[in-house]
Amino acid sequence: MILRADHVAGGVAIAAALAVLAVSGDLPFGTIAFPGAGMLPKLVCGLMILFGVLLIARAGQSPPFAEISWSDLPHAVRVLGVTAAAVALYTTLGFIITMSLLLFVLIALEGRNLVAAAAFSLGISLSTYVLFTVGLKTPLEQGLLGF
Amino acid sequence: MLGFSVALRPDVLWYGFLGCVVGTLVGVLPGIGPLSGISILLPVTFGLDATKAIVMLAGIYYGSQYGGSTTSILMRIPGEASSVMTCIDGYAMARKGRAGAALCIAAVGSWIAGTFGVVMLTMIAPPLAAFALRFGPPEYTALLVLGLIFLAYMSSTSLPRTLLMAAVGLLLGTIGIDNLTGHFRYSFDIAELGDGIGIVPVAVGLFGLGEILSTPSADVVGQVITPKLRELLPNRQEWRQSAWPIARGSVLGFLIGLTPGSAHIISSFLSYAVERKLSKHPEEFGKGAVAGVAGPESANNAASTGAFVPMLALGLPTGPVTAVLMAALIVHGIQVGPQLVNEHPDVFWGFVASMYVGNVLLLLLNLPLVGVFVNVLRIPYSYLYPLVIMFCVIGVYTVNNSIVDVWIMLIMGVLGYFLRKFGLDPAPLVLGLVISPTFELSLRQSLIMSNGNWSIFFGRPISFVLFAFSAVLLVLALVSAIRKRADWRAKLAEAEAGEG
Repeated sequence: MILRADHVAGGVAIAAALAVLAVSGDLPFGTIAFPGAGMLPKLVCGLMILFGVLLIARAGQSPPFAEISWSDLPHAVRVLGVTAAAVALYTTLGFIITMSLLLFVLIALEGRNLVAAAAFSLGISLSTYVLFTVGLKTPLEQGLLGF
Repeated sequence: MLGFSVALRPDVLWYGFLGCVVGTLVGVLPGIGPLSGISILLPVTFGLDATKAIVMLAGIYYGSQYGGSTTSILMRIPGEASSVMTCIDGYAMARKGRAGAALCIAAVGSWIAGTFGVVMLTMIAPPLAAFALRFGPPEYTALLVLGLIFLAYMSSTSLPRTLLMAAVGLLLGTIGIDNLTGHFRYSFDIAELGDGIGIVPVAVGLFGLGEILSTPSADVVGQVITPKLRELLPNRQEWRQSAWPIARGSVLGFLIGLTPGSAHIISSFLSYAVERKLSKHPEEFGKGAVAGVAGPESANNAASTGAFVPMLALGLPTGPVTAVLMAALIVHGIQVGPQLVNEHPDVFWGFVASMYVGNVLLLLLNLPLVGVFVNVLRIPYSYLYPLVIMFCVIGVYTVNNSIVDVWIMLIMGVLGYFLRKFGLDPAPLVLGLVISPTFELSLRQSLIMSNGNWSIFFGRPISFVLFAFSAVLLVLALVSAIRKRADWRAKLAEAEAGEG
């Protein structure tokens, strides 16, 4: 049997629904006359399992899993890693430093001129900070350094 | 008149203008949709009153429909998903030296359709809202079920796929404190999750970040055809060829806009199919047919206006964009629904009137400034996408000043990336998340009212009709699935796949 995209998607949906059911033990289902906090989540999990099974049953219409192109995965991992690092540092370092670094690293990873990337990153971060805090009266994170 | 007295106030006019400019830019730039644009600018509106906020955010939405045509015609890259069909004949016209005419027809068609949509909205929304005042919990339950089924029926992907995504959204919507019993659900001792998951981090993650993750800069290439200003006016024959497609696109787009789902995308696709069917020269389609630009561009604008009818009159979002707009109004203390027109007439009518004004502004903006907008396309994508990520972080963080929201956005970005890989549409997930609290509350209230008797949903005329309509749609979808007939939805899926 060829493993198809919908086999994987359906399997993940069923696994996710079972995982949610497993952590829903303390939520009361209640009665039909007085439904509890667990009623809708458990019903929805049941539906997810049903749709997951349907996806697997009709998986023949989906492309083979091996044919899904993952050529963009290195780009996605790079962007995600840099963004996650920036988010982790955001409240500590503040907007200007974190966002300058985020922009610079992402542009540098694209193989662009480093001086231009640095100037662009710093200029954009500073002007955005001024625009939001002064022009739009929307304070941005200041961080340990106070800006 | 109340609406125009609000919409023509200089401050409101300014924010409407700002929304239109930003919306046009959002539409022009590939990779940034109206949803990301609205979400990013949502925190900026916190310092404004509700009227200015909604006028600006709505301007971004319908402005993006105008802007989306520019990249489609000049680069063959749809700036917005609803402009996919414009790429075909718009770019072909541009290659024949009629780029200016194509842009002008798209802008005029968008203006006519947008204005038609607002006229219809003015006429339909207030009586529909008055009718919806009769709705109780069973009717709302039935309406929301119908919304989900309709979404699944109209979706270009299969019924189980759409409903699976909606179920995931419903499940995410149950996170947080249960309003009826006070139980904490799936918050895992994270205080911020007590209030549930916000729409903004989910929407920005799925649509904004997800799109960037799956678009390496090497994939964004394109040659820009720059039109000359003196070539902007179409000739007499082109005007004649565009008149009926604009009229048909306006009506078709508005009607489809009333239904849940990606109405602006579906309407442009259907309009293209209709025009090709009705044309005396169908062989010209794909080679620069004027009707292939006029119809779809009118339809997607009318649809984006039509989508405001269920939102304003029923409090029912028909897509992720209207869901975020509803969230914006809720942030400003305005409950969207049947009471809106009576309780906040200034917001309701000011918003409606601002769309008349906004459509004129967009027409004036789009044609003379097309050269300026085209220059934006010259920014390399490797500089552009980091900028978008920065604005995504700002937009999400400043809604609640919560870093947890930004982490949720990242997680949703990863989810969005994988959903694209597996051909699953993220829009029903956002819709499920938005309607989840209302759906749960109305379902549980109905059951409590009836002491657990399910017949309450079928014994009341309105809810019975709504459920019956849902059943009919389900049957139609099943019949279509059994016959495996390649109808317009299958073709839409092909078009969307082609876009990616």
